[in-house]
Amino acid sequence: YPIYAQQTYENPRESTGRIVCANCHLAQKNIYIEAPKEVLPNTVFETVVKIPYEFNKKQILGNGSKGDLNVGAVVILPEGFKLAPKDRMDEKLLKKTKNLYFNNYSQKLDNIIVIGPITGKDNQEITFPILAPDPQINKNTHFLKYSIYVGANKGRGQLYPSGEKSNNNPIPSNAEGRIEKIKPNEDGGYEVIIKTKDDETISQYVPIGLNLTIKEGQRIKAGEYITTDPNVGGFGQSEIEIVLQNPTRLISFIFFSISVLISQLFFVLKKKQFEKVQSLNQNF
Amino acid sequence: MTIIKKPDLNNALLRAKLAKGMGHSYYGEPAWPNDLLYTFPIVILGTITCCVGLAVLEPSSLGEPANPFATPLEILPEWYLYPTFNMLRIIPNKLFGVISISLVPVGLGIVPFVENINKFQNPFRRPIATSVFIFGTVTTVWLGIGATMSIDKALTLGIFF
Repeated sequence: YPIYAQQTYENPRESTGRIVCANCHLAQKNIYIEAPKEVLPNTVFETVVKIPYEFNKKQILGNGSKGDLNVGAVVILPEGFKLAPKDRMDEKLLKKTKNLYFNNYSQKLDNIIVIGPITGKDNQEITFPILAPDPQINKNTHFLKYSIYVGANKGRGQLYPSGEKSNNNPIPSNAEGRIEKIKPNEDGGYEVIIKTKDDETISQYVPIGLNLTIKEGQRIKAGEYITTDPNVGGFGQSEIEIVLQNPTRLISFIFFSISVLISQLFFVLKKKQFEKVQSLNQNF
Repeated sequence: MTIIKKPDLNNALLRAKLAKGMGHSYYGEPAWPNDLLYTFPIVILGTITCCVGLAVLEPSSLGEPANPFATPLEILPEWYLYPTFNMLRIIPNKLFGVISISLVPVGLGIVPFVENINKFQNPFRRPIATSVFIFGTVTTVWLGIGATMSIDKALTLGIFF
């Protein structure tokens, strides 16, 4: 959950470039981001985060039953960029973001936007409405090329912020030995009894919702997984570059190009004119 | 209606040059002023416009502030060092890795001498030099692509396994 990161970390992007979600969502899955190449100051634009997965995949929930995947995302914008206010969005953008509730990461960092958990089925593409800053008003921003960093996740994490494992993990065996017995528990889980070399019996609890891969009588090593991996999700991060463009620069470049085009044209015309002189004189 | 100057075949010096397959600047379109004064500025202005356009539309980005205590997640050198970086990564012994890198310029220096006895310039008539060149180029590109992948795919590019 984004709230875990918000409580624990002041800045979600570590100095190594890793986004802190990866500390709990250990599995990796690809995500994609789309943003305009250039934006003008004080305009609203959209950034799309794509979190693809197959719909038929189900994940294990906290109580051991199976459920649909949730998704979430964090967008780390350059300083000065913000979530666009509702009254600045056009109808198309309002429609796209109707059921999405974006939050600032913290009061101090309003350039970092988080969303989630939201149902993954309807939100494989999350559109973030973003307002570009105006360097004339906000003196901390400049007309430059910036990077947008994005992290997005599907499915539950493998660890809690406290370091405890969630049940979205395969279970390794506690000891080396032979599986003596597998007893189904009342709550739907299993109790696996392992007999070690020294004739000790160790009982290991497997919570509900995990599928065992072992049989009675089988030999196992310590640390070998005795269940399948229930995880179907994962976290991915990506980045994209965006230019905050100065409109006067753009207009002056257009005028410059036109003037160059005209002068090139005159060079061609002058050459053609001089060729006529040459063909008359024939003494070059 | 381009202006074409004809070669003056009464000139014995030019005839001697033409016989050797030289003297091309004595005929054809005159360089001055047709090319140098009128065509060159067109090209120069076009080049300047391309540079200015790139500077305006695609300014170079400011990197992150340097921090000696934070190692980035992906360590990669500049792109032209990818192949040698990958060699250093793949070879388990660091000394051999460094030696292999220093062998690259040595190998390149040897290439002109390998087929020195061969008098032909045509690459198809210099089979050893040409195959060394093609093999070297393919290996370099292959290793360079491998440098951008994880270490287990560095040599195979994930194609074979």
